[in-house]
Amino acid sequence: MTEELMLNGCLRNNATAQEALYNRFSPRMLGVCYRFAKNREDAEDMLQEGFIKVFTQIHQYRNEGALEGWIRRIVVHTCINILKKNKKFSDSVDITNAHSIHVREEMIPSIMQAKQVVECIRSLPLGYKTVLNLYAIEGYSHKEIAFMLDIEESTSRSQYTRAKSMLEEILIRKKIIQKPKKKTNFFGAVSPN
Amino acid sequence: MEKEFYTDEFEQLIKEKADQFRMYPSKRVWHSIYNNLHPGRRWPSVVMSLFLISSLMLIGYLNTGDNTINLQQNNPSVTLTKNDINNTPASETKITTSAYNKTQQRPVTHYDNAFDDVITNETDFYTYTVVRNNRPNQLYTAGGTAQKIITDKNLVDNNSNDLIQVVDNYIKSNKIFADIAFNNKKNKAGTAQTTVENTNQGQTTVDNTTWGLNTTTTNKTNPKAAMETKPVTDNTELNKLTEADKKAIVKITTEDKNTLSNEEKAWIENYAMQNKPTSKKWKGKLAFQFYATPAVNYRKLSTKSKGSATAFANADINNAISQKPGFGFETGLGLSYSLAKRLQLKGGVQFNYTNYNIDADKTNHPISTTILMNDPNTGYSYSAARTSTTSNPYNTTALQPVTLHNRTFQVSVPVGFAYKLSSENNVDWFAGATAQPTYVFGGNAHIISSDLKSYVSDPSSISSWNLNLGFETYMNFKLGSYNLQVGPQVRYQVYSTYRKDVALIEKPYAVGLKFGLTKGF
Repeated sequence: MTEELMLNGCLRNNATAQEALYNRFSPRMLGVCYRFAKNREDAEDMLQEGFIKVFTQIHQYRNEGALEGWIRRIVVHTCINILKKNKKFSDSVDITNAHSIHVREEMIPSIMQAKQVVECIRSLPLGYKTVLNLYAIEGYSHKEIAFMLDIEESTSRSQYTRAKSMLEEILIRKKIIQKPKKKTNFFGAVSPN
Repeated sequence: MEKEFYTDEFEQLIKEKADQFRMYPSKRVWHSIYNNLHPGRRWPSVVMSLFLISSLMLIGYLNTGDNTINLQQNNPSVTLTKNDINNTPASETKITTSAYNKTQQRPVTHYDNAFDDVITNETDFYTYTVVRNNRPNQLYTAGGTAQKIITDKNLVDNNSNDLIQVVDNYIKSNKIFADIAFNNKKNKAGTAQTTVENTNQGQTTVDNTTWGLNTTTTNKTNPKAAMETKPVTDNTELNKLTEADKKAIVKITTEDKNTLSNEEKAWIENYAMQNKPTSKKWKGKLAFQFYATPAVNYRKLSTKSKGSATAFANADINNAISQKPGFGFETGLGLSYSLAKRLQLKGGVQFNYTNYNIDADKTNHPISTTILMNDPNTGYSYSAARTSTTSNPYNTTALQPVTLHNRTFQVSVPVGFAYKLSSENNVDWFAGATAQPTYVFGGNAHIISSDLKSYVSDPSSISSWNLNLGFETYMNFKLGSYNLQVGPQVRYQVYSTYRKDVALIEKPYAVGLKFGLTKGF
């Protein structure tokens, strides 16, 4: 079924078209939800709520961008709303001392690279991973993130810096990436970044 | 993937890998979406399917839930639950396992290290092992990656036969795979995959079912480390391998990991989704509830008489007497078990107080009167003599008004279910029903006389056993670890309050507002 047919069907509340749309985008969207969620069940709940919004607001889609991008934005916003409603996020985002946070990296599996990276992201504290997900992966600006999460823009920046640093450490420890070699100048001295 | 990176590359890497990641949702997600989008279509099937679903869930629950994995089929004493594996740090695996059988030396230990990375996560451990034991044959043959790798890496050299033999022994000694495969009913291919085969062309196919253990690049999970730290009799030949061979093995496994096709990845992810481990039976499903229901009690009266010409038998009993609703309440403790995401099974113990009021007048002295009874043998009614000190207000001989209370004290065992009709944010809407076998251990009974002029106090006429039905709908508010339930409830008594030989039939019902507090285990 083409995207256009699916869209037209969804606009008419046609269940077959809705299912086709769901089947096409749900695996990727569940991957998105999974990065925000605490566990798979929560991710599926987010996905469910997100797709209900997609189908009920499909008439607002104006064919101006990729359908997937539009769906993704709705799903991401749904994830954020759920996190905020559960009041898990607001407690976590205030954490400022990254060193005192215990990262459960022993939970990270070694099955697949993409999954490894995702699990490493998920092992971060909630506030960190949310900002990192939004900024580095979903492409939101710090200003947008600040608005979405009801936090200061500077908080978003600092959260992201710490999150990235922590994630790098985990990925290096897991040998998923290698530690970057420091650049040296002509005389062999380490040059500042 | 092991490459140098800079800041921008790092962000790019994260985005790239995160975008590649896909998961396959379970069917219930679509069903829930469908039901939300098309609420009208689900109702015809709900009533029919509800019974079937709950029955199947119950049967499924009673017949499954084996949470143990046999490490050795021939040694049933050495077993670990998945929970044990999950909660045991990798470095302590051996110690923990030994605790299960202190008198016997654990026969197979060399895969301890090999499992370090895998068994740290219950889901992935299960997924990983079961998936690798169940992947279709065609993923390994017909241009399978391992075959190609072995050939490409020129491993068919002077040491190859030794290597293959050693690998074969090593694989065969890892009986856990065979056992897991044995436990998995879906594994039609059995453990045939855990072998090394020689092809006619002299090519060697190494099944990565076993070598998948070493797909991580950490030292503790490669065969070298496993061999060096845990040498066992079965694979002492492994120790004889040259360093070059060992490095080659590590390289093979690394490349094997990298050469997983998208199809394989999708298959693994899909399989993982479809074969999630059985969750812990009770955790998160069982909840304890305390509740109280202030209620207003009403009653419905009727008569059952045969061959009687009394006023009692012929009048409209509901209008012949003056009775008013009274205050009652219920309180109880209960347990609820989530059979499905929307369906809960409930049970508990409940105390009930029922009461309604009768307008009467007190007489100066006891008067002789009768109440209508039914002969249990013949079914015919007869008048049994009683005395009374209160009269019906319609009786002109009244002196002073009094209020009589027809009340009972009951203990019941409500058993039923609750179904989640909808859920939004932290509020759920439930509807439920219970059947409540009830024991009446006390109360007052003021029965109208045969001539409708007096009330006879006769507590002995109250039947000890009864059955009530409860219907309720309530909103469930999630308050952290507690849930608060508030909603209306109707409780209806199925059988008469009085014994079968009493001609008066009274069926009280209560309408109340239930307040419940639930805490999950």
